[in-house]
Order: sequence, then structure tokens, then C-alpha cells
Amino acid sequence: MPFDTGKPEMTAEEFRLLRDFVYGHCGILVRDDMKFVMQRRLWPRLEALGLADFSAYYRYLRFDAQRRAELETAIEALTTHETYFFREPRQLKAFSEEVLPQLERRNARTKRLRIWSAGCSSGEEAYTVAMLLKDSGRFEGWDVEVHGTDISRRVLVAARAGEYGPSALRATPPDKIARYFIHVGPNRVRVRDDVRAWVTFGHHNLQEPDSGQIGSRMDVVFCRNVMIYFDTPARQRVLRLIYDKLVPGGYLLLGHSENLINLSADFELVHLRSDLVYRKPEGGL
Amino acid sequence: MSEEGRNAEEARYRALLELDPSSAGARETLVAGLHDESWRVRRAAAEGLTRVPEREVVVERLISVLGERDETGARNAAAESLAGMGLAAVEPLVRLLGHADPDQRKFAADILGQLKLAEAEEALVKAMLEDVDLNVRVAAAEALGHVGGKVAARALERTLHDPEPLLQLSALESLALLRHPPPLPELVRLLGNPMLKRSAYRVLGLIPQVAATELVCRGLGAESRSTREAALVALGTQAGLSEPSQRTEMDAAVRLALKRLPEAVGWVASALESDDLELRAGALVAAAALREPQLAPLVAEVAQEERLVPEVMRTLAHFGPETGRELLASMDRLSFPAREVAGLVLVEMVDATYVPELVQMLDWGELDLKAVAVQGLGRTRSLEAVEPLAQLLDHPELAGPAVRALVTLAGSFPKQVAQALESALERGAEPVVLSALVRVGGTAMLPLVRRTAREGSVALRATAVEVLAAVEPSGGLELARVALEDESSRVRAAAVRVLGQVGDARMSGLLKRALADEALEVRLAALEAVGECGAVEQVAELESLVRHEDGAIAFRAVRSLARLGSLRDEVLRSAVSHGDHEVVKAALLAGAASAEGVSLAVGLLGHANWDVRAAAARILGASGGRECLPATRAALAAETDALARRALVDAVERLSGR
Ligand SMILES: C[S@@+](CC[C@H](N)C(=O)[O-])C[C@H]1O[C@@H](n2cnc3c(N)ncnc32)[C@H](O)[C@@H]1O
Repeated sequence: MPFDTGKPEMTAEEFRLLRDFVYGHCGILVRDDMKFVMQRRLWPRLEALGLADFSAYYRYLRFDAQRRAELETAIEALTTHETYFFREPRQLKAFSEEVLPQLERRNARTKRLRIWSAGCSSGEEAYTVAMLLKDSGRFEGWDVEVHGTDISRRVLVAARAGEYGPSALRATPPDKIARYFIHVGPNRVRVRDDVRAWVTFGHHNLQEPDSGQIGSRMDVVFCRNVMIYFDTPARQRVLRLIYDKLVPGGYLLLGHSENLINLSADFELVHLRSDLVYRKPEGGL
Repeated sequence: MSEEGRNAEEARYRALLELDPSSAGARETLVAGLHDESWRVRRAAAEGLTRVPEREVVVERLISVLGERDETGARNAAAESLAGMGLAAVEPLVRLLGHADPDQRKFAADILGQLKLAEAEEALVKAMLEDVDLNVRVAAAEALGHVGGKVAARALERTLHDPEPLLQLSALESLALLRHPPPLPELVRLLGNPMLKRSAYRVLGLIPQVAATELVCRGLGAESRSTREAALVALGTQAGLSEPSQRTEMDAAVRLALKRLPEAVGWVASALESDDLELRAGALVAAAALREPQLAPLVAEVAQEERLVPEVMRTLAHFGPETGRELLASMDRLSFPAREVAGLVLVEMVDATYVPELVQMLDWGELDLKAVAVQGLGRTRSLEAVEPLAQLLDHPELAGPAVRALVTLAGSFPKQVAQALESALERGAEPVVLSALVRVGGTAMLPLVRRTAREGSVALRATAVEVLAAVEPSGGLELARVALEDESSRVRAAAVRVLGQVGDARMSGLLKRALADEALEVRLAALEAVGECGAVEQVAELESLVRHEDGAIAFRAVRSLARLGSLRDEVLRSAVSHGDHEVVKAALLAGAASAEGVSLAVGLLGHANWDVRAAAARILGASGGRECLPATRAALAAETDALARRALVDAVERLSGR
């Protein structure tokens, strides 16, 4: 292979130490077969810091005066931020056609709606949700907030900027592009201000419940394609957090390859016409 | 469910969750829960039963529930619970394999498969070979795929000749699970059987030999899609198992086969997009053989499955440089993981003709794409690449990569690169530029460095101090003394590092002050420097810090004492009892040459952290005497961690030879 020449290999021990350290901090489990991926993503950090091997890097993360900042950079390098607008259309259809009308009825008195995109990456999911709320025409004049959070500060910068290229739009229908984006360059668009007005972003580590401000109780939580990186105890911690943050009867929407089997029986499975979703029972505290 | 029904269900569910499994009557309450109408309640009951004491009694009770013919929900829940019971369930289930009702026997075989315990091997083999009911035999064959063992593998192989095709099929599937392929001629026979074909291909994949690859290639030419896909899957498995030399031969065989199949590009493309991971892995091997540029973006997308990333990179590299442009053009439409690998591969492919495209990519907005462009520009060996890179030197996130790229280019254009760096510095670029400038421009740059050390920003001043010391030690030392008074802790820390690197024991006084600096950053640097420059006067200070609760401080104190050669036994003992395992390891390493260190290592073979145990084993292997052998052997016998075991095995071997 023409790759990777002259760079230090990560030993099995270094891998374990780094993996456990990262896991302890943010619940992300780097599987055993992912040593290659970890090594590849951290090489640039060794190079940038002038360190000879991964043991030195591990000690840097533990003991250097700059350790906190470096840990964030490492997590940044190790997390996958793949996302795009209108991802998982079947679920979004169920959300628009069945969940939203119900929320409109339930919250008719307060005219208030809170939706949380947990692990929002660069913001596409949160903006998509806001666009669907606009599309429904049900919530104009309401107090609406779609709150996106992520552990990576770098993706949050991108999310707040709200500017995207073709990759982010690869599943977006042209009529939605016309309605909700403005062109800012030959290959770039920006989310329109009326959509942005409903969306906020904040830093939050899902494994450290107190790390960010998730103030009010949520009507819906999107936590899609985030728990896939966690192991069972870490998933359970996140689910407990989400359960607490949901209003009774509130919905939890997971990615299409995810489910709660063997993780939590606290939520009930609801069969909607186009998809299955989870809900916190009405009687739940 | 009605509101009321839901509340009642919730109440029953909560009650089971809160039930103390060891309380009187808990068992029967849970058994009743197995019969609940709600699956949530049934699952909670099944889980609860696995925590009830007196497992034997519970297991028997669960087995009796398996016999309740009309209670499907309860039976399934009981089976689930039994599968969580471990060894206690094996013997009763083996007995159940002899029940008069074939339905019960099948249940027993299924659950034994889920338990995955070798203790069930013999009984399952017997059931597979001798039971009168076909369903039971099939269930036993399937279970053996999870239970495994030598006897099982041989019996499964024999079963491939059973007249019952269903049984042959499950035997073959189990052999695949056990990664135990039967001999090739046997497989050739099975490949001819339409019902067994798919599974036979799967097993064929387990044989990394060119003869097997050639058989697989025949499957690639098959009419039916399912056969082709099975062959692709086999190809992926083979590739994963083969040695690099075999791999080249394999690739050649596949290429030859695919060249004769013009429609292959189409079906390989769709296999690359399939949901099935094994199929995608095989499609990668086929794509590497085809080398059709239009497949490159699809190949890159397979990187969404991280386990396939190495194979994706290998495949793309196979495509060769002509594919680079295809990738480059589609970069901004690719998913994030695909971009990442495409970027890595692309960087290896670029030459001077790529500069315009790479420069254009710098406009694309996304940081990861820019980083690829930067790295690529560095590899173009083109003068045209210097200017666009220089533009990035004041960008906090791209300055580092841009500097590295420029340093690479300086191999061909030193003057131009130095000039670009210098003017960037004047514009207020990032500090990395300064060190690069000295690397590229040499000592001619020193006046500029001195000036920066006086007048630059905090970050630049700090860098300047270190850069100067690296090139001109005596001047660096002098500058560092001045910088020790800087108002910024970052600059002071840099100065302290310089004292350590180029100073000697005479720095002791200065370092003493630094050890008491208000900023942690400076204190940490001073701890390191004391050891580096041999400032023995500070030993007492270091000794007191070995017990510091902040691991960062204790760790450095231990290391510096070791460097000074002043680690007293008493201090060593206190260091190995530190709560931070890195401090303990540092101490172990520092004490490796001393008798006290060796005896401490023996004690640490029982430490709570696997890495400390491994480190202790290594120390003993290197410095211990034969008298350490019994303790090391005992530790090996008790060790459950794979990495620590490896170190212990090695240590035992070395100690035995002494
Ligand atoms: C693959 S993206 C999913 C984005 C979006 N939800 C979607 O489905 O399109 C996963 C995100 O989870 C974030 N993440 C991972 N671990 C996290 C943690 N412990 N706390 C918060 N966010 C985390 C990552 O930074 C990343 O942006």
C-alpha cells in the first residue's frame, strides 16, 4: 500500500489506553477492529504536536497543561459527523403527518413547541426539522425552538453558520431548496433566516448530563445515528437523560438502524402509518 | 391501547422492575409475569428471573413453562430467560433433549445454541445425528454453529452427506459460522446443488487459495443474481483472509474472470451500494479488479462502513492516477467518510497538473476538503502551489497543514517558500510559521526570530524562544532568561522548557522559582526541566511532589527524579501507591534497575489496572531473577486480561531461562 509509511504504529496497549480514555470521557466506543481508523485519525495530531508515538500522545492527553483542549481535538477527530438534510425520509414523513398534528393539538393552549436534535452534527437535522415545521403551516405565531446540540465544537460552528455544499443537499428535493435556501456561491447555499430564527445550537456532551443547558422539557427528541458509537451502558445513560428531558407523551426518534431492544423498556413503541417511533408513556414521570 | 390500559400496564411493569428478586415469592410473581399480555412486562419478568437466587430451581420452573403448549408468549419469554442462565441451564436442557415431545426437544436445542457453551457439544452432536425428528436434528445442527468444538465440526462435515437437504444446509451454515471449511472437492459437489449453492460459496470464501478463488470466479459469471452475490461475498472473505502475496494472484484471477463479463460494472456498482456489509466487501475486490473510473466515487462511499475503510483505500489505490480527477470532481458530493478516504488516496495521486483543481477546492467552504487540498498542494512539487498555501498561514485551523505542505515544497523551491513564510509572518501569521521559517531559511533568519521574541504576540514570543534555542543554544538560553520574566505564562513556560533542553545544573535557582510559579503550565514545564538539565538541588522539592494528587504533577516528579538518578526506595514505594496508574507505571519503569523496583513489581502483578500488571510483568522479564518465577506464574494463572497475559507469558519464558 502506498499509505502510512514512516508513521508510528499504534500498539495494542496504546490502543486500549486511548480507547478507554476516550470512552470514559464521552461514551464513544472505538471497537477493537477500529484500531486502524483510530490510528489514521490521530496521526495528524502526533505530527502537529511533535510527538514520537501514541504513548506520548496518551500522556499528553492525560498530563499536559493543554490536555483539555487536546482532548476536544481528539474527540473531534474520532467522531463521525456524517449527516445531510432530509435524511431518513420515511421517518420524517411520519413526523410531519402524524406527530406534528398531534403536537399541535396537545400544545394548543401554550402554543409552545420544543424539539431537541441531540448529536446534531453540522446542523442539517435541526434545520430539516424547522423546515418541516414551516411546511406544516401549523406553528406560525407559536413559540418554537429546535435546539441542536453536539459534543464537537467545530461542527457547531458550521451549524451556526448554516452554509452548505452539495454533499449536505444530496437528498433534498429541489422545491425545498428553492423555498428554504439562498444561493451564496456557485456551489453553496445558506438556510433562510426565517428557518434559522427557530433554531439554536449549543455544546453538550450526552455522557455528561450537566455539561450543557438543556433547559426546558422537550416535546420531541431526535437522537439519530449517535448511539451507534456507544456501548450498552453509555446508550442506557443517554436514554435515561432523554427520558428525563421528554414531556410525558413526548416522542423519541432514532436512526433507522437503531432500536431500544435490550436497552430500555421505558419507552413504548408506537406504530405510525409510515414508521415506528418511540414515546415516553403518558404516565411516565 | 387505551389510556387506562396503558397505565395499568405501566404499573405492572414498574412493579416487576422494582421487585427484589431474592424476596420470598418473587419467583412465582416473575413466572406469572412471563404470562403477561404485554411484551414489556414479559421481558422484564424474563430478565428478573435471571437474577433470582437458587438458579437450579428457577431453571426447572422455566423448563416447565416451556411445556405450556398454548402459551406462546410465555414460552418464548421463558426461553429468553433460560438463554440468560449460563451454565446452570445446560444440564437440564440436555435432559430436555431426551423429552418425548419433539417440540420440547427442538426448544432445548435452540436455547443451547443461544447459551453458546461447549458443555452442550456432545449432546447436540448426538441429537443432530440420532434424533428421529428432522426439525430437532436441524435445530441441533444450527446450535452447533454457535457452540462449536472439534467433535462438532467433524460431525457437521459428515452431515454434509445426509440425504436430508435441509440438514445439509444447516450443517453447511454452521461450518461457515465456525469458520471450518470442508475440503475443496467436497465443496465442488455442494456448489452444484442449487439449494446449497449460496452457503457453499460462503464457506468457499474461508479458503484463501487461488484454486478456491477460481471456483468463486465461476460463480461471478452465473446467470442468477443470488449466485453472483454469493460469489462476491466469498471473494470479500477470501481477500480478508489472504496474505499479500496470495492477494496479488487472487486479484489477477478475478480480473481475468471479470474482463469476460461486460455487464460486471453494472452489478458491481449495485453491490457496492447494497446494505449487506459482506457483499460490499466482495464488491470492493471486484471493483479493484475492474478499475473503472466511474466506480471510484461508489467505492469511496463504502467507507461509510468504517470496518471496510482499509479495503476501500486499497481499492482506490488500485485504480491508479487516472481516477484521481474523477474523485476530485465528485469530492463535494461525497458523504463525510467517503471524502475522508478519497482525500487520503487523492493526496498520493496528485502531480503538478492538479494545482488548478486543488486551488479551486480551497474555495469549497468545508474544512475537511480544504485540508485535503492543502496536503495535495504540498505534494504537487509545483511552484504554483506556494502562493495559495501562503494565503492560509494566518488561518488557525489550516496554518499547521499549510506550513507542512510548504516545507515539503521547499525541497524544490527553498527561496520562494522562505519568502512566502516571511511575508506571512509580517502579516501576523500563526506561530508555526516561525519554526518553519527557520527550518527553511536556516540561521539567516535568526535576527527575525530575536525581533519576534521581543515584539510578537504571546504565541509568537513563546515560539520564538524555543525556535532560537533549537538553532543557537547559547543565544536561546540568554533569551530564555529574559523570557522568564514575561507577563504571559505561555512565554514563561516556553522559556522554562528551553532551560531544561539546553541548560545545565546551574539553572537550578531559576527553576526553583519556576516550580513556584502561579501558573500550572509553568510549574509543569519546570518539573520536566529539572530532570532534563540535572538540577539535583531540587530533589527534595520533587520528592514532596511525588504524592501530589494531580497525576500530571506526580508523574513529572517521578520521571525527573529518575532522570536525576535520585529516586530513593522510600519515594519509589510511595510513587507506586499513587492513585493514577500512569504514575505507578512511571515509577515501575524508573525503578526497573533496582532491587527495590523488582520487588515492587512483584507486588504490582496484582494491581487493579491491566496496564500496570502488564508493565510489572515486563519489568520482571527484563530485570527479575529466577526467584520471581513462582509469583509471575501465579499471576499468569489468574490473569484474565489478554494484553496483560501476553506480557506475563513473555515474562515467565524469560525468567525460566535464567
Ligand atoms: C453521525 S452524526 C449524526 C448527525 C445527525 N443526528 C444525523 O443523523 O444526521 C453523530 C454526531 O454525534 C455526535 N456525538 C458523538 N458523541 C457524542 C456525545 N457524547 N455527546 C454529544 N454528541 C456526540 C458527533 O459529534 C456527531 O456529530
